[in-house]
Order: sequence, then C-alpha cells, then structure tokens
Amino acid sequence: MNINLSIDVATTDNQTTLTIKGEIDAYTAPLLKEKLLPATAKEAEKIVVDLKDVTYMDSTGLGVFISALKSTKEHGSTLTLVNLQERVHRLFKITSLDSIISIDTTTRGGE
Amino acid sequence: MKKERLDLDDYRKFLKQYLLTHDETALYQAEQLSKLSVQHNVSPEEIIHVHIKALKELYPDLQQEVSDSLNFLLEAMISYGLALQEYQSLREKQSALESEISVAANMQKTLLQTKKPTITGLDIGAVSVPANQMNGDYYHFIEGSDGTLGIALADVIGKGVPAALAMSMIKYSMDSFPEQLRQPAQILESLNRVVEQNVDTSMFITMFYGSYNTKNHTFSFSSAGHEPGFFYFQETASFSEIKARGLVLGATSDARYNEEAMTIHDGDAIILLTDGVTECHLGDRFIERDEVLEVIKDYLHLPAQEAVEKVYKHFERLQDFHLRDDFTLIILKKET
Amino acid sequence: MELKPCVNIRQEWDIVGARQLGREKAKELGFGTVDQARIATAISELARNIYLYAGIGKVYFEMVDHLGKKGLKIVAVDEGPGIRDLSQVMQDGYSTSGGLGAGLPGVKRLMDTFEINSEWGEGTEISAVKWVR
Repeated sequence: MNINLSIDVATTDNQTTLTIKGEIDAYTAPLLKEKLLPATAKEAEKIVVDLKDVTYMDSTGLGVFISALKSTKEHGSTLTLVNLQERVHRLFKITSLDSIISIDTTTRGGE
Repeated sequence: MKKERLDLDDYRKFLKQYLLTHDETALYQAEQLSKLSVQHNVSPEEIIHVHIKALKELYPDLQQEVSDSLNFLLEAMISYGLALQEYQSLREKQSALESEISVAANMQKTLLQTKKPTITGLDIGAVSVPANQMNGDYYHFIEGSDGTLGIALADVIGKGVPAALAMSMIKYSMDSFPEQLRQPAQILESLNRVVEQNVDTSMFITMFYGSYNTKNHTFSFSSAGHEPGFFYFQETASFSEIKARGLVLGATSDARYNEEAMTIHDGDAIILLTDGVTECHLGDRFIERDEVLEVIKDYLHLPAQEAVEKVYKHFERLQDFHLRDDFTLIILKKET
Repeated sequence: MELKPCVNIRQEWDIVGARQLGREKAKELGFGTVDQARIATAISELARNIYLYAGIGKVYFEMVDHLGKKGLKIVAVDEGPGIRDLSQVMQDGYSTSGGLGAGLPGVKRLMDTFEINSEWGEGTEISAVKWVR
C-alpha cells in the first residue's frame, strides 16, 4: 500500500500544530492517530490541525478526530481544525461532527 | 504431509542420459521430477543428496573436491527446505482462516437477514453488497402492528470483521426496544448510548431511521450523521436531499436527535443509501452526487427491486467490478 | 552420572563449536549426510537463540537409545529472561530475527521430537531428539 500522507509537527509553548498533507484513509489513519493522540493527552495543550493539503479523508479519518476529541475532554486540552477543503468539510457537516469539534472556517483551504 | 523419497534409480538414469547425450528429453524428465518433488514435499537438500549418490555411483572415482563441494551445497540448501515447509504450513493456515471467515460471513447474513415486507401501495427495493466478505452496512425493515414500516440503515466506520461485529450489536439492541419506543429520534438516542459505551473510541456508526405511516403516508425520520438520501417528487420530476442533521452514533454520550416528517404522494419515492454509493471512485476522482442522481433517475421508472439492482450493476461496472466500500441502496416508491 | 559433551554459549563463535561437536556425535552414531546437516542447523538455531536472547547458556548432547533405536538428543539451557508466550514463538510466521524457515518451528521440523520448558524470568530449556534412520 502506498502511504500517501505526511505529517509535520511543530510545538511551541502549550501549542502543537500538525500540518497534514495527503490522503487520510484506513491505511494512513493509524499514522495520524500516532501523532495526534499524544498531543491531546497533554494538559491545557492547544492543538491545531491544518488540513489545507488534505485532498481526501474517509470515515476512518473522522474516527481519529473523534477519539482525539474524547481525549481532549479527558485531559483538558483543546482541538481546532483549520483550512478544510470543501470535500473534507462536507464530511464533518454531514456527520454533524462540526457541532462538537471546533472548526475554524475563517480560513478556507484551496479547492 | 507425507514425505516421499525421490526415486534414486530414475534420477540416476536421467542424469546418466544427460551426461552422455546432453539430451533435452532428460532435462524435461528432470523438470517432471522437480515438480513431483515439490508436490511430495521432498526438500531441496534431499534432491542434492540423491544427486551426490547418483553421481558417485556413476563415477566411483569422483574427485574429492567435487564431492565436498556438493556437500557444502547441501548444507547451504537446508534453510531453503525449511522455508518451503513453513510456507506450505502458512498456506494451509491461510486457507483455514479464509474458510472460517466465509463461515462467519454466512452467519452474519443469517443473523442480520431482514425480510422485505409486502405492503399494498408500496414498492420496495433493496440491495446491499459488501466490498469484502463481511458487510459493514446494514439495513432492516420492521413492521409495526399499527401499520407503520420502520426502515433502519446504518454504516459502520471501516470494513470487514470489526465492522460486522459492531453491526450485530446494533441489530440486537434494536430488537430489544419495545414497539412503543420505536420513534426515529428515540431509537437513535438509545443506540447512541449503546455504541458510545461499547465500542472503541475511534469507532462510530452513521445511521438513518425512518418510519413510514401506511395509513396517512407520512414519513418521519431522523439521521445520525448518515449520508443524506433523496426524495423524488413525481409532480415536479425533481429530487431533493433528505435534510436531517444529527451527530454520528458513538461520538458523545448525550446526543439528541431531531425528527422531521414528509408527506409522500402517489408516484413519489424515498431513496436511501450509504456512502459506498456516493464515494464510488471513477479512476482517481469521485462520482458527484448529481451523477448518482442521474443514474438513479434513469432506472426509477422500473419496479423498485429491479431499479436498485440496475443502479448497483451500473456502479459496479464503473468501478471495474471492484468495490472500495460496502454498497447499500434502498428505494421505496408509493404506487400510483 | 556420566559427563555429557557440552559447549558453553557466550559469543557468536561458540555456535560454530556447538555445531562441530554435535556433528561429530551425529557421525559417530551413523547419521547420513542430510541428517547431519539438519542436526547441525538445529543446533545453530538453538545456540543462536541463547546468544541472541539469553546471552549465556549451554548446549549439550546425549546419545539416547529407545527400543533399539539410536538417537542424538540436543539440550539447550539458559537462565535468560525466558519466553513469555510459548505458543506464539512456536507459531509459523512468527520470527523476531530470521524470516521464513528460521526459529524454533524450524528446529521442530528438523528434529523428530521437540520439547520446550520456559518460565518467564527463569530461563528456558529446550530438548530435541533425532533418530538414526
């Protein structure tokens, strides 16, 4: 399987920014989970996930964000998704996950 | 696994023939012996051993270095022999696993089977095809004693065995709800609690539940993050998306669901689907929802069961007969 | 008790010593070349396991006699960490080092009998017999 995903992690004081590039599906989701979950387990950490270069995501990807959200609630951290492409944003809307996961829509990713 | 010994006399005969004449026939015989050896689990080191013996019988004064070097080769082949045996045992294990999964898939079919109801004035068609052996999609019809028809359609994240296990959980929870509690929103709220408590944090389920009142022909429904289906209105020959927002099952413990309702007129249709339909790949792009509607529209005039099957066949062909995701499509038509 | 031929395993080259001693005993007992090679390979795997996972241990040999059948018994003993999940290491396809054909399932295939005892934290003892055909 061709693993078509790269994740760049930048950490500053109390903030972790993950910049993701590629496709999030059943094969690449474990990689995202591996990078995202440890950050959510830090108390009071602010986690920003930049999805500008994510061209495709399936339900496995949504599952990772649900489990990250549950972890933020447990550890008192926060999670924000930014720069979602239209197709990816639609997934969050259909599943109403945009009602429980904070999505910053002021900066919309390129179509 | 019975081990048979390579026939030394044959081997010697062919070897001699070859050494004397360089005859292609002898080489062909060697090939046959080689195939037979694989079939009978004769290991490479045994073949080399037979070779050494045959050679020594043909040339009793064989040079010591040649004989030693062949013994060296024999040692070097031992691990290949072992690897071959292990490979064969892994292959047997694999086929055992495959048959176990196919038994499980059949069991799942039996457990989750649903009878398509026959209701006067309603024409119902349903098709559900798994991408792999086990289906992560699920639909179910429930006929109430008061003349309502319940339709459940769910899609578990992921595919295969874990998805199928989660599906069985949904089916049995639903069976345990008393009839008076089978209102769409109520059902989703109860199922949400079941899913939230019982599955892995990254697992979730999308589900649509509709209740068709066969007396006044209203369709009330709720959705837990499920891919929206469509209404078809005959009067205007147009489609409209079934609008029902609600959170997927399993994301939070206290999700609430709205219930919407629509009156269905003669010739109208309700179209429900899972994202295996709208997420169909066409080469490296996805089929747009409008294109899906175009296809459905082409077949909608047919009896409902024939229509869903034609639509499925259409997308199966488009994807080169290789589904990436489970595919489920239900069409309900109110007959004129 | 008679003294058994024994090789201590401390470093990789001790594996060669164990093979050599084992092959001599196999020749004495009248094993053919193919079986000699199989016995040597089994010794290698057992000694290598000691070297890789326990660090220190020993391999010794016994001539055995059962109902007129002669055989060679290889015993590998170590006081290393032991094996936590025996059924897992005995499974085909499970290998931490070698890939297809390596490891304890390989030893089991090469020999006629195979026995393993291991306690987590207390070491491992493996014995295997090959009968002269």
